[in-house]
Formats: sequence, C-alpha cells, structure tokens
Amino acid sequence: MEYKVEAHRIMSISLGKIYNSRVQRGGIKLHKNLLVSLVLRSARQVYLRDYYGGICLSAQQAREWCEGEYMDSEQDKLVPGSTESLPESDGQSEVAVDKQEPSNVVESHAALDVESEASGEQDHAENGVLDSGCSELKTPEESPEASPTCEVSNVENLHEPIVPHTCTNRKRSADDSELTDSLPKKTKVMSSTLISKNDEKKAETEEMDTSNVSSLITIFGSSFSGLLSSEDGAQPDSEAEDSDSGQICCDQMLKNLNPWSTAIVAF
Amino acid sequence: MAGVGGGNDFQWCFSQVKGAIDEDVAEADIISTVEFNYSGELLATGDKGGRVVIFQREQESKNRPHSRGEYNVYSTFQSHEPEFDYLKSLEIEEKINKIRWLPQQNAAHSLLSTNDKTIKLWKISQRDKRAEGYNLKDEDGRLRDPFRITSLRVPVLLPMDRMVEASPRRIFANAHTYHINSISVNSDHETYLSADDLRVNLWHLEITDRSFNIVDIKPANMEELTEVITAAECHPHQCNVFVYSSSKGTIRLCDMRAAALCDRQSKFFEEPEDPSSRSFFSEIISSISDVKFSHSGRYMMTRDYLSVKVWDLNMENRPVETYQVHEYLRSKLCSLYENDCIFDKFECCWNGADSAIMTGSYNNFFRMFDRNTRRDITLEASRENSKPRAILKARKVSTGGKRKKDEISVDSLDFNKKILHTAWHPKENVIAVAATNNLYIFQDKIN
Repeated sequence: MEYKVEAHRIMSISLGKIYNSRVQRGGIKLHKNLLVSLVLRSARQVYLRDYYGGICLSAQQAREWCEGEYMDSEQDKLVPGSTESLPESDGQSEVAVDKQEPSNVVESHAALDVESEASGEQDHAENGVLDSGCSELKTPEESPEASPTCEVSNVENLHEPIVPHTCTNRKRSADDSELTDSLPKKTKVMSSTLISKNDEKKAETEEMDTSNVSSLITIFGSSFSGLLSSEDGAQPDSEAEDSDSGQICCDQMLKNLNPWSTAIVAF
Repeated sequence: MAGVGGGNDFQWCFSQVKGAIDEDVAEADIISTVEFNYSGELLATGDKGGRVVIFQREQESKNRPHSRGEYNVYSTFQSHEPEFDYLKSLEIEEKINKIRWLPQQNAAHSLLSTNDKTIKLWKISQRDKRAEGYNLKDEDGRLRDPFRITSLRVPVLLPMDRMVEASPRRIFANAHTYHINSISVNSDHETYLSADDLRVNLWHLEITDRSFNIVDIKPANMEELTEVITAAECHPHQCNVFVYSSSKGTIRLCDMRAAALCDRQSKFFEEPEDPSSRSFFSEIISSISDVKFSHSGRYMMTRDYLSVKVWDLNMENRPVETYQVHEYLRSKLCSLYENDCIFDKFECCWNGADSAIMTGSYNNFFRMFDRNTRRDITLEASRENSKPRAILKARKVSTGGKRKKDEISVDSLDFNKKILHTAWHPKENVIAVAATNNLYIFQDKIN
C-alpha cells in the first residue's frame, strides 16, 4: 500500500525533474536525466504492479485510456458476452461482469504460483491486485498510470473485464478480498490475464505478500459502498459494494489519465 | 583523538581558509575543482564563475618553524566565459569542471582547465626581474635616435614586484557533443584524454584542431541508452592504459595498443549488486562519481554515493576494500532524491603514500580512511575551528535513537554544505578541502 503511494510520489517528482531540466542553464544534463528516468521506470513498475493486478478494464475503457495507441484488433475480440450482473451506471455496456465466470481463465504463472487460501482463485486475483497493498488514495492518483496503459492493452485478452472489481481492488486491499469473494473468478481472470501478458507483472505477482491475502479475503466480504461516498475513493475503511462506485472511480481515473499519458509520451 | 593519514597517530590542524565569510554565497564563487600540482607548491581552484585561482606556498620561514609555508594567492584569471550555442539554443556554462596540472618543464607552470565543452591550456609565468639600461630605447620604451647614442652599455636586471601572467596557449574546442566530465594528463606528458557522457577523446597537447576518439558508447538509437561515462583517468605510469567509469557502477580499463577504438575493454570491474538492498534509487547510488588511480598504479579508487571502493587492477570481480562514507543516508534516499542531493558528485583522493584516502560528505564533513589500520575519521571544515593550528576534533553522526553528546543527528545535517572536492598534497600531509565558496587548508600537527 505504501509502496504505491511512494511510487506515485516518486514518479511525480521524477517527471518534475525531467521537465525542469529542460530549462536549466547549461543544457540538459544527460547523466542526471538518465538516472531520473531509471527511477521513474522503477517507480512505474511498482505502481503498475498493483494497478494491473487490480485493474479491471473494459475493452472500451482501455481503448479510451490508451488514446487509441495501444488498441489493436484484439480489442474486438473482447466480447462482453455475459450479461452484467452488477448495475453499470456509465453505460459501459461492454463491461461484462459475470459472477459465474468459471475459473477457466488464463493460467498465468503468477496465478498458479500464488498460494491460495479460502478461495484459491481470489487469492490469485488479490495477489495480482494488491501486491503492495492498495492505498486509500488510489483512484485519482492511479490515473497517472496512464502510461502503463500501454501494457493495459493486454487487457485485450481478458475474457471478462471487471470494472468495478478492479477499482475496488485498487483502492483498498481489504475491500479487494471481499470483492474477490463476490467475483472471484472475474478477478482472477482479470489479474491472471494481465499478469500472464506482462512478464514484469508476472514476476512481481510471484513476489506478492501472501499475508495480504487473508486480510483481503475478509475485507472482500464487505461492499463497494465506500467507493461512492468519497470523491477520490480515498476511504480505506469504507466498503466498496457497488459496481457503480467502481465505475465512478474508473471515470475519475479516466479523466486524469490522458494528461499524464500525454506528458509521458511527449517526453 | 587519533588522526588518520600518515600511518602513525597524528592529528589534523587548521592552517588556512580562503574565501569570503559572508553567509550569502554568490553562485559564481562556489569552488568546483581543487588540484595540487606535482610538487605541491601550487594549489589551483576553479569556480562556477569560470575563474581559476592559484595559490603558491611560501617558503618556510625561520620565524615560524611550527607551520609549513602558507598558501597565498599566486595568480587569478578568468579561464572560461559563458557561451551560447546558437545552433542548439543552449547556454554553455563557464563553470570549471576540472583542472589538471601539466608536469613542469621550464620556469613556467601549465595547467589544463575545462568547462562543459572547451579545454584550455594555460601557461602561468612570473616575472620578478626587469631589464634596465637598454641602448636602443628609453626607460619608457621610446626608441632612441641611433645617431644620438654615444656609448654602449649592457642592460642590467633589477628586481621588480613579482608579476604573474596567465595566458591561454591552446584552446581545444568543438570535440565534445556532451558535457565534459574529466580530463587526465597522460604519463607521456604529450597527450591527454578528455571524457564526456558518451565519448572519450585523446589529444596531443600541441595540436588543437584534431583529437582521436578512443571510446564511444553512444548507441545507434538514443532511446536504448542505459549508461553514461562518468569519469576517466590515465594510468599514472602506463601511457597506453586508461580507465573510465560508468553510471552503472562499472569501470572499464582499456589498452590503447589493442585497437584504435577502445570500445572493448581489457578489464571490466564490477561488484555484483546486493539484491537485498535494492530500492528505487539503487541505480543512482551505484553511479560512480569519481575514479582515481593510486600513485603506485596498482590500485584504483571509485566513489559512489554512499561508499568509496578500492580496486586491485588485477581483480575485476570485486573491490579489495570498501569504505562506507555516510551509510546513515541510505534510509534517506527518497528525501535526497527530492532535493537533488542524491545527484551530488563527490570526489575522492589518495595521499602521497597511497596509505590513506579522503572524500567529502555533507554538513561540511569530510572523511578519511587509513587503509592500513582500517581506522576512519570524520572532520569538519568550519569557521568555528579556524584558529591557527587548532586541532580538528573528530565528528560523529549518531545513527541510533540515542544521540550522545557532541554527536550530530542525521536530521540536523545541513545538506547544503557539501564537500565535493578535496585534494591531498602529493608528498606531505597537507590537504585542501573546498566547502562551497571557501577553501580550507589543513595540515598535520608538527611537534
């Protein structure tokens, strides 16, 4: 949890340094900028680790977030076959939340390696989601993760993108476990797929602290209501229940996403 | 308190301090390089304003047998001026990055000074006699009418006030696209190398319009750049050997006899990273900021952010000695990253006998390590300890929860007071420590 906040903060600072270096006297210092970019990359990796694990992107969302950069034809394959079981407020019709999603999800190495507890699948999901724990402040802050959306393109392979689930997962570890309870398979699909697609994420999933899992599982028992109650979703103790709230947090992320991705890509 | 440096127990004393006392430090006055010449008689400093100040040691006087000669200003000149690169719309800083003395070959002294882009060879000569009694011209220089000369006389040399002149004899320009970080005079006394972030060039001291590129690590696609050159030095005795360090914490030793382009190293020095200490900033703190051969040529020393390592040139897989400079900063790396201190490039130096090494730290602290006794000491360069021949007291930074008396806690350290540049007299226990805009000179106590 703390890692993510820290990672995000370091990313912001790094971007600031890179920006300032352009106006510094004497020209751009190659050495310093190289080091800053290495830190930026490391922070980004840590930040994304949870982001991908927890994120649940609909095909449409992923497309939007990536500004078309990362989408490919595979996107079309994402068919929201199952009907939503959770109410979706923003008309993300493509989001298919199928609670009965069988666990025939993509078998990621990470998912397999992760210890499973009460609900084995959800463990996988959680681990993928909450490796460093979700911090309260996630929703708006995570939007800067726009650049990672290039890897989000892996979402294409998601069988069932789970928006609310993701948001919730990202937001708080406690809630995630609860979510997993309710949507164990989807989460697993989500995270598993993402993880399997991304070697980095896979490696990191394996490192996940399984001690988080048990707490996650208990937390997952609660609902999404907390998501709705706070603007930025920064309510660690509140419980996320609604897919609506999940949707909201995704929207917020979406809004913040574009400027960041633009900034990163531009540099 | 036992000192470090000569192998025996001795103590460091304050000798002199040069520079303004004002709290308000002009950026141009910040010292950016310090270097003794080969004999130790001269001490040169460069600053951010592009000026070079040379101090000369006075002869030891009988009046004051307790102190060795003092260093007084010998010459001051403006070496580099700010320039503007119109093509790239970049300002080129006048800050002197490095000064290296050339071996003295005649009465004049020569040194190389460099900023980010241009290296200059300066000749410093002094006149303390003038001729009087010319036949063909008057005392004021006017030519005399030859027909009016009735007798001849031999001009005589009379003493005059010493006049020191510095003149740029060579300007080595336009050879570096990136910022020059090092220059090093070769042991053949004819060539020298200059290194920027991606390339190392070899020059002849007499030829300014050409240089040989001997190392080029620029990738074809700059997006694939993963490391840069941070320092380079010629071997003190083998004129075909040089080393360069990288931002990844590696050192490459190259032999110029092997190939014209020394991209393939002869030796590769790298210590495996300790995976348990990985953090966001592992890469930054492993970047080497300085590399120095020992006087013997058998060892080399590298400085990274938290430590100094001594390498045996015959062993590539790990250093033979590692000294922690300020390990207590390891937990503060994030703050140091925010305030840019983590990018500070500390230098390091050997004593004449290669038995001790010195490097700087924060809060105007500097550290010395005795390689034989393995003792280390932390000293402070401050105006408070500036009484003549005052013995420097050892300082200590408290790392635990309990702070003992006289210790300073990590949070109280002043990170704006950093000692990046230090120099050790080649033969004696005299050291020069640059603390922002002040130059401190310390020497061992003579009994």
